[in-house]
Amino acid sequence: MRLYELQRELQRDLLGHESAIATAILEAPPLPVQSRLGIYRNAYRARLIEALDDLYPILHRLIGDETFESLGTRFIEAYPSQHRSIRWYGRELADFMGETAPFADQPILSELARWEWTLSEVFDAADAAVMDRASLQAVDPERWATLAFGFHPSVRRLALAWNTVAVWQAESNDEDSSGPERSPEPVQWLLWRRNLKNYFRSLDSVEGAALDAAVAGRTFTEICEALTAHVPEADVPLRAATLAATWVDSGLIAAV
Amino acid sequence: MKLEGFGLGLRPVHYEALLGESHTVDWLEILSENYLVPGGQPLQYLERIRARFPVVMHGVSLSIGSTDPLDRRYLADLKELARRVEPAWISDHLCWTGVEGRNVHDLLPLPYTEEALAVVTARLGEVQDLLGRQILLENVSSYLSYRDSEMTEWQFLSEVAERADCAILLDINNIYVSAVNHGFEPSSYLRGVPRERVRQFHLAGHSDMDGHLIDTHDHPIAAPVWALYREAVAHFGPVPTMIERDDNIPELGELVSELAVARAIASGESREAA
Repeated sequence: MRLYELQRELQRDLLGHESAIATAILEAPPLPVQSRLGIYRNAYRARLIEALDDLYPILHRLIGDETFESLGTRFIEAYPSQHRSIRWYGRELADFMGETAPFADQPILSELARWEWTLSEVFDAADAAVMDRASLQAVDPERWATLAFGFHPSVRRLALAWNTVAVWQAESNDEDSSGPERSPEPVQWLLWRRNLKNYFRSLDSVEGAALDAAVAGRTFTEICEALTAHVPEADVPLRAATLAATWVDSGLIAAV
Repeated sequence: MKLEGFGLGLRPVHYEALLGESHTVDWLEILSENYLVPGGQPLQYLERIRARFPVVMHGVSLSIGSTDPLDRRYLADLKELARRVEPAWISDHLCWTGVEGRNVHDLLPLPYTEEALAVVTARLGEVQDLLGRQILLENVSSYLSYRDSEMTEWQFLSEVAERADCAILLDINNIYVSAVNHGFEPSSYLRGVPRERVRQFHLAGHSDMDGHLIDTHDHPIAAPVWALYREAVAHFGPVPTMIERDDNIPELGELVSELAVARAIASGESREAA
């Protein structure tokens, strides 16, 4: 068997497809060929499930070992890894759960997976120095109209329809959670990292609209325009400036 | 950078202990992929660790024996990490990890053939050119061998090293695990490898599955592996040696004690250290 063919066949076997690899393997003690292949098949599955467990520990605890393992096994079949580093394996788990029975019947589980994946992104996103309040105050008032905000690379936004974060928090702290509850409106969440620690908080619609505009690179004037739908016009500039100061204080802003 | 003595594989659970207390750990081996991330805690700790310890970089994604094209982005990232870390050397495994764009995240054995030699040698030349340095390749533990193999594993490893002018990281546990799983004499492996190319030893624990062994890195080093290490030291002389532990990771102190056994064996102080 040529090398490329041998590699393709062994990989097919590991991925659970029909394969001709057994004919290429030496039959010798102490193990039969199928047991030898079995060691690799098990190791492949175990390693990827362990990678998913690293990324989704709370989902795992919530659904239990058996369900997590069956979820992992099905996900691995559907999504073989194309990543050179196992760190990035498992990103699609939330999508997979959202469209796969029986997980799709409990949409909070898919949201929980999305939440945990996002936390992992925040954890090792790129570093950047952040701006402090004094530097914001030192900005020439004439520049404010055209000011645009550069956010820390760890900043992420999520809109969640369920009480996913409360459930995640309760499970993380080993407390009983109240069970899944759908919010009347999806709740906007902001996640970021500061001094190597992950932070998150929910946003009201005003701050959500301002952040959407700011993260998209809009100027302060444009951010104010985005707020006119939510805030009396006379209050808009002060409200926007206050939000900007809050973002700076939270360590969200890398530069203006 | 010259590197000597006895090291450990750096694991995040030991970050604080390594930085906080003084230990007789001469150097650390990092898993390169753990630090090929954009930023945050891993890189922050790495910087602090690097300020205190000499470091070598050990990867699992090179896939030097794959028939897929080389992953040049990976190599560029590896080179950038090496620029930051200034490791004494970079190592990976003599194996393949996937084809057709897939990664099975396992260190799969190659057939020991002229064809595979040609593939590995050509790619290794390119890798060493791109990284601008000689690298070390490690022997993996394996659970199957191929009918097509035309030479022993140690002949294959030696040929790769000679033809591509690379160095060797000899994993003593992997030799023992494979010896049991394939029925060869581990001493022949040691004697069959070019002495001057061996730059580093790995030691680790395995699991005994009643007839065959699995390289689990979740146990202390087993007695027959210590015995083989003693033989290796006698044959190769002083070679920087380290312990890998990836599961059931104990307190740092326990690994430092295990490392002391290696020191004792290497210094000839103890014929009975294990």
